[in-house]
Amino acid sequence: MQAPSTTNQYPKISPMIQASNIHKTYNDGKVKVHALRGIDVEIKEGEFTAIVGPSGSGKTTLLNIVGGLDTPTLGEVHISDTNIAQLSENELIDFRLNHIGFVFQSYNLIPVLTAKENVEFLMLLQKRDEEERNERTTKLLKAVGLEDQINKKPNEMSGGQQQRVAVARALASKPDFVLADEPTANLDSKSTANLLDIMLRLNEEENITFVFSTHDQRVIDRAKRVITVEDGKILSDETR
Amino acid sequence: MIFKIAFKNIWRNKLRSWTVIIAISLGIFGGLAVISTATGLSDMRQNNAIRTYVSHIQVHDSAYLKYSGLNDVITQEKGILSFIKKHPNTEGVSTRLRIESFIQTAGGTSGVILNGINPEDEKQVTNIAEKLQQGNFLKTYKRKPPILISEKLATKLNAKIKTTIQCSFTDANGLSATGVFKVVDIFSTSNSMYDEVNAFVRLEDLQAISSVYGSHEIAITLKDEEQVERFREELIAHFPEQHIASWRGIAPELGYADKMMDLVMSIFLVIIMLALAFGIVNTMLMAVLERKKELGMLISVGMNKRKVFWMIVWESIFLSLIAGPLGIVASYLAIQFFGTHGIDLSFAAEGLRSVGLESVIFPTLNANYYILISVLVVSTSILSCIYPALKALKLNPAETLRTA
Repeated sequence: MQAPSTTNQYPKISPMIQASNIHKTYNDGKVKVHALRGIDVEIKEGEFTAIVGPSGSGKTTLLNIVGGLDTPTLGEVHISDTNIAQLSENELIDFRLNHIGFVFQSYNLIPVLTAKENVEFLMLLQKRDEEERNERTTKLLKAVGLEDQINKKPNEMSGGQQQRVAVARALASKPDFVLADEPTANLDSKSTANLLDIMLRLNEEENITFVFSTHDQRVIDRAKRVITVEDGKILSDETR
Repeated sequence: MIFKIAFKNIWRNKLRSWTVIIAISLGIFGGLAVISTATGLSDMRQNNAIRTYVSHIQVHDSAYLKYSGLNDVITQEKGILSFIKKHPNTEGVSTRLRIESFIQTAGGTSGVILNGINPEDEKQVTNIAEKLQQGNFLKTYKRKPPILISEKLATKLNAKIKTTIQCSFTDANGLSATGVFKVVDIFSTSNSMYDEVNAFVRLEDLQAISSVYGSHEIAITLKDEEQVERFREELIAHFPEQHIASWRGIAPELGYADKMMDLVMSIFLVIIMLALAFGIVNTMLMAVLERKKELGMLISVGMNKRKVFWMIVWESIFLSLIAGPLGIVASYLAIQFFGTHGIDLSFAAEGLRSVGLESVIFPTLNANYYILISVLVVSTSILSCIYPALKALKLNPAETLRTA
């Protein structure tokens, strides 16, 4: 089986995110909420970036816009050479499948599938052949330390284990970068440390780009770049 | 994988899925049970009418039907009988002389049609011989010519077997004629209205009394019921002067009942499918609303909306593919059982007889109905999950991940 045509449509790009003058306004009836007020940010390949800030600061909105899940009211997002605002809805879904990995706060695994099937799922959507799927699934589950849990369903695993499966799933489609929205918010200290170890190792050894939102100090301490957002604006951008 | 997820999804809420499956199955079972019972009733009424008094085809002299004159006998009787008897599709043929008569006993009076018949021929055409109390189909008698009356008429006339009956009518010469008969047996068909106005005597006895030497009616039954119209057309082609009618023309109400039954069945099918549709819409809508976050996640990570749509559609197809066969198999088994053993409605026997039905009903269902139901169940389930599936397509992934 061949790789999907979408991969050809969007040739592998040098992972670079460029968000320019991003504004996002939610119109909730009579009240207008300005979630983002002119954000400019650039993320290069291999970065391990934390977007931090208090609740309601706009960090999740920024991640959603960068990930093509939401559209900015004003401004543009370029992922390498592609202006994702110009993609149709279906093209955007294909783009996300082939270029972006997602890790969510509450894991969001498919409850009726096993860990292996959850990781394999995106590769099936990409129509990758069985041999490649099996090989990559095994490799990824081993990388996140879950090689002995492959046949367990999400409800048979701890929160930390589920989030590790979610990381493996995010990497399964060979994305250009991984967006993680508060990935440790529901984890205890040990699981948080474990997950961070895995993400850092993947970043360092395989040069995988991670961008995650968090307000967890333990995560912030280990990030290589910290972008602080407050009231929809970038307050500081510190590379360590 | 879409199939796998869809199939597994329906078992996430087992209680709800089984409730829907059982509801759909019961709907199908109920619908098919009613349809098969109604078909059984209709067939029984039709068969009873054909086997008791209508037969498949009747031949009359054209004038007889207009004026009911005693002398309007079938002019080409011999030729017609010869043609019919030679025909390979003929099962039985019987000639009848029918005379309206005033009938009386010491216990009562009534108006009846005296049917002069040849018992051996009549046996091939009607089932009156099987409906006798003692099985004496005008065969055994002493001195007085024999007559068969129905149980209902016997009650009315206060008569029983061996009672002497006097029948009065006008003969072929316009003179008053009287025949004295002895009741040799009493019959009871499934049609009490027919029973009340018909009595049977031997053809030669009635011919002798009435001086009408011929017959008013030739009744024919065929081996293959489907060939009735073709046979009738053949007869018409050979004997165009005669009035030749099939059972549909003789008793159009039976045909109407057939059409009515088709209409009733269609209405029932629509009701079943509507119940199925509402069940599926409700279930799938609940399933979509409960899984907004998960569906949002699937769209977020790259599952296109066409696949999301088909996942929802497959879920409802699986529900109906489980429920449909369950309902159909249960219906088939029940129809086979009751089709053999019958449903005993003796408690309503009198009412049923008044409309030409027996008290034991044998449900029956054409095999095409099972196929039709299967196709309808799957089509309905596909159609009815479109709305929930479209709802799923309208989900905004960012919104669902944030709020669900």
